[in-house]
Amino acid sequence: MTEAAGTSQIQSRNTRVGLIAAAIGLAMLALGYAAVPLYEIFCRVTGYGGTTQVADAAQAETVQVASSTMSVRFDSNVSSALPWDFKPETVTDKVSIGARDMAIYIAKNRSDQPITGTATFNVTPVSAGKYFNKVQCFCFTEQTLKPGQTARMPVLYYVDPAILEDPDTQGIKEITLSYTFYPVDPDKKGS
Amino acid sequence: MTFMNMVKSLSVAALLVMTPHAAMAQETVAADVQIEAPTNDNQANDNSAAADASTDADTSGAVGSYVPMKPTEGKGMPVDGGIDFQDQYSEVGQQAYAMHNYILMPIIVVISLFVLGLLLWVMARYRAKANPEASKTTHNTFIEVIWTLVPVLILIGIAIPSISLLAKQYEPAPEDALTIKVTGYQWYWGYTYPDNGGFEVISNMLPEEEAKARGEPAQLAVDNRMVVPAGVPIKVIVTAADVIHSFAVPSLWYKMDAIPGRLNEKVMQIDEPGVYYGQCSELCGARHGFMPIAVEALPMDQYNAWVQSQGGTIKGEGEETPEAVEGDVADTETPAVESEIVNTEDVAAGTKTAPTPAN
Amino acid sequence: MTTIAATPGEVHADAEEHHDHVPPFFQRWFMSTNHKDIGTLYLIFAVVAGIIGGAISGLMRMELAEPGIQYLQGWASMMQGSAATEDQGLHLWNVLITAHGLIMVFFMVMPAMIGGFGNWFVPIMIGAPDMAFPRMNNISFWLLVPAFILLLGSTFVPGGTGLGAGTGWTVYAPLSTSGSQGPAVDMAILSLHLAGASSILGAINFITTIFNMRAPGMTINKMPLFVWSVLVTAFLLLLALPVLAAAITMLLTDRNFQTAFFDAAGGGDPVLYQHLFWFFGHPEVYIMILPGFGMVSHIIATFSKKPVFGYLGMAYAMVAIGVVGFIVWAHHMFTVGLSVNLKMYFTAATMVIAVPTGIKIFSWIATMWGGSLSFKTPMVWAIGFIFMFTVGGVTGVVLANGGIDDAMHDTYYVVAHFHYVLSLGAVFSMFAGFYYWFPKMSGRMYNELLGQLHFWIFFIGVNVLFFPMHFLGVQGMPRRYADYPEQFAYWNEIASYGYAIMGIGMLVFFANIGYSLFAGRRAEGNYWGEGATTLEWTLSSPPPFHQFETLPQIK
Repeated sequence: MTEAAGTSQIQSRNTRVGLIAAAIGLAMLALGYAAVPLYEIFCRVTGYGGTTQVADAAQAETVQVASSTMSVRFDSNVSSALPWDFKPETVTDKVSIGARDMAIYIAKNRSDQPITGTATFNVTPVSAGKYFNKVQCFCFTEQTLKPGQTARMPVLYYVDPAILEDPDTQGIKEITLSYTFYPVDPDKKGS
Repeated sequence: MTFMNMVKSLSVAALLVMTPHAAMAQETVAADVQIEAPTNDNQANDNSAAADASTDADTSGAVGSYVPMKPTEGKGMPVDGGIDFQDQYSEVGQQAYAMHNYILMPIIVVISLFVLGLLLWVMARYRAKANPEASKTTHNTFIEVIWTLVPVLILIGIAIPSISLLAKQYEPAPEDALTIKVTGYQWYWGYTYPDNGGFEVISNMLPEEEAKARGEPAQLAVDNRMVVPAGVPIKVIVTAADVIHSFAVPSLWYKMDAIPGRLNEKVMQIDEPGVYYGQCSELCGARHGFMPIAVEALPMDQYNAWVQSQGGTIKGEGEETPEAVEGDVADTETPAVESEIVNTEDVAAGTKTAPTPAN
Repeated sequence: MTTIAATPGEVHADAEEHHDHVPPFFQRWFMSTNHKDIGTLYLIFAVVAGIIGGAISGLMRMELAEPGIQYLQGWASMMQGSAATEDQGLHLWNVLITAHGLIMVFFMVMPAMIGGFGNWFVPIMIGAPDMAFPRMNNISFWLLVPAFILLLGSTFVPGGTGLGAGTGWTVYAPLSTSGSQGPAVDMAILSLHLAGASSILGAINFITTIFNMRAPGMTINKMPLFVWSVLVTAFLLLLALPVLAAAITMLLTDRNFQTAFFDAAGGGDPVLYQHLFWFFGHPEVYIMILPGFGMVSHIIATFSKKPVFGYLGMAYAMVAIGVVGFIVWAHHMFTVGLSVNLKMYFTAATMVIAVPTGIKIFSWIATMWGGSLSFKTPMVWAIGFIFMFTVGGVTGVVLANGGIDDAMHDTYYVVAHFHYVLSLGAVFSMFAGFYYWFPKMSGRMYNELLGQLHFWIFFIGVNVLFFPMHFLGVQGMPRRYADYPEQFAYWNEIASYGYAIMGIGMLVFFANIGYSLFAGRRAEGNYWGEGATTLEWTLSSPPPFHQFETLPQIK
């Protein structure tokens, strides 16, 4: 290429490559944000980090009840910013794998004003998340307690019998279901 | 147990039952008094909570055969100028230690010395004086294939035991494993015993003089230890109340992050009784370096005695039916409020009989 | 490697025919569009940042020299102008470790390697007159200055327990969100935004320059390895930094605008932040070392009077390191509660990186093999680099084992490991490059004796400083601790002596720069002789203000 023709030609080529590179950068930026919903979906689908599954009643009906049992432990935490008592009615429970079971958590508002709370949750061992199905849970919605009110909060769940087939989860004898109650900040928007 | 102490613990118990947990914990830190805070004061079952609390304080005050164990020098703690891992007191730890010291260490030392030796030899052999005329070789496919394949083989040789080690470390807890819940706070630890009635032990670092006075290593010693049974698998579940902490005990090859809003679990099995120290291992704010961990492993019967001294129940008793557990309000509510001093006095007074927990 | 058809004489003649039109001072240094001037600015900036970051580590080693808290409270009182509480003193510790990390990563190593040497020599090595976007190049540099001021300024505003951002360079949520009230962390995050934007613009510039501005005949497979290394680095920057930008922007909105991306209370997950951070953070460590790989290749070849052994293997090894670097990030998070399968995957994937790294180490030795070696200062730094980087690399293989990492994670073993690859790896390669090219850039020879002295003092110092940290780590000493049980006292004291030795080495370095600039012998175009074959050696020292107005022809 000759000197004179080259200069403008090279400039337009530079602009093109520069813009492509910038587009790659922007795409990565978008991917950074997309990671938030993608991570959520990933956790839901794979049970990553002990994320539990959601099943509807119809699905739960079709599950075969296996002969073996699984111990389920119930754990509770309350944020220090929330003046509630919150704990499971029973600490552990033995359920037939595949059978639906109900667990009750009891929450009490210790303060003198109505407060809304919401619970986060996971199960351990984390690999059991994929097989822990909730049909109904107080954690799906926000809960409001009046001053001094005590509420019984049910979780309807079952353990998917597929847990017995998966080599990663075969040895699991007890699943711990944990909730942490946080106050709902009216300004705070979930991701 | 003197009458005054009883009155004191009673009144503190009543106070604590009515105070929100957070406020209590702060008080604990501020006043530097060792208080086992009852988080699981089950006020949800409000049937006669106050009355139960008082009776419990009574029992918990009366029981106590527990004296904090004297740590053994060099066991479960770092040693002066040490250059190796701390001695390992768990099977997982011994396996990992062996993996490191007998597989990884020799390999990396040999590789480093090999590279050093090659460099020195090349430097001596091909220095300009010895070799004025440089060759122009720039390729040798054979040698390039070799130095790609040999590292691959070495790495496969490392990966296979490494992966089986991981599998071993992640074996889930057996069905009847005792569960202990560890909660990281800024800047102390809380140990809850859900299988023993749900009491929580709050563990703060001892000031240096206090630690020395008790014959414990400074900056590792705590007021109330995490007491566990030795020789059995314990399911430790870990979470945090504020920011991320990490629960770590080097001599047990144990480290698990404590993350707010979620639970982590890992089995801990300690071979023999002893005191095993650790330190918070995730930056958690100003006093990150001042929230040590002390795990005291005891034979099962002594552990049970300790549980009772804290006003807890022994696992397996009264758990036959869910109803029994539900009705077990008295136990889950136990606000075991006492300091170490009270404990030692108990021992001095010879109160050793542990009343059977009310079922 | 490339063979150059243009004889030195021809290019020289070309350069001297044109009268260099050098702009006046303010225009030249503040509105510069000249890649060499911008490179010089970057290097000066990196030296200044390095002095500050190094001084901070000096404060840290002073405090750690013996058990107990000796100075922190006093320093904190000095900073805030009133008596500090014990906790404020301890917070200052966290501010120091945070500032040391961020300064060394974003304001010392990256500006020196990519901004400094990259700007100076990538255009010259590919036979280009300048960078593709000279004005953007200037913006890249001048973004760094406010970024650095913001970071330094953050240490004087409230950041939670005390003044300054005490979150660690990783800025983990929720310590960095709900755990650090006050504007300090916001300022640190904005500082990272600016530094990140600067690097992304720089990356776009390098990619365009390397793709489009190569001289005729300079095909991609003939490019000097340093250019290859900067190209791979630029891609890593372009792919990794935007993810960091997204993550820290989310931190910022979590802090100030009531979002809950990483806040469990609002349904977010603090572990997600760690995934995003390390998706950036792991490539980042290669960003800091790859240009060093490139420089070391040239230096080894030059002083062996031999072309680089296995050129293509070297180039593709860097590409492989870059690619694999994106799929290993969670080995920084082995203790967050990953499932066993993930831990196994990340263990295996991480080990894969050792293969291309090994190829590079052995290729460097093979380059020396059969050569005619002279041990000038750049060469001793480069050889030191090879060995020290090997040591840092093999401890990386140890840490890669998820089952072993449970004991090592967040201990001084990790600190030892990454200082061996960075402080003894990246920094050694930077000194190698500096001595190699300093006469080219300044036109003055450095003093050989002082250069050798600098190497040996520094080499002994950093090894005494960092090797004992392996011992502390396996003994279980956690990192980011202002104080420690007295069992750790012995090796900490030794490490602090090591720092002092290293500091003396640095004094020799600065003495050498001062001496060379004022009294150094004038350097000819190719002062290294027949081993130096890339295009910068065809130019005068320093090169003309505008080089290659007639593009060189590469055979």
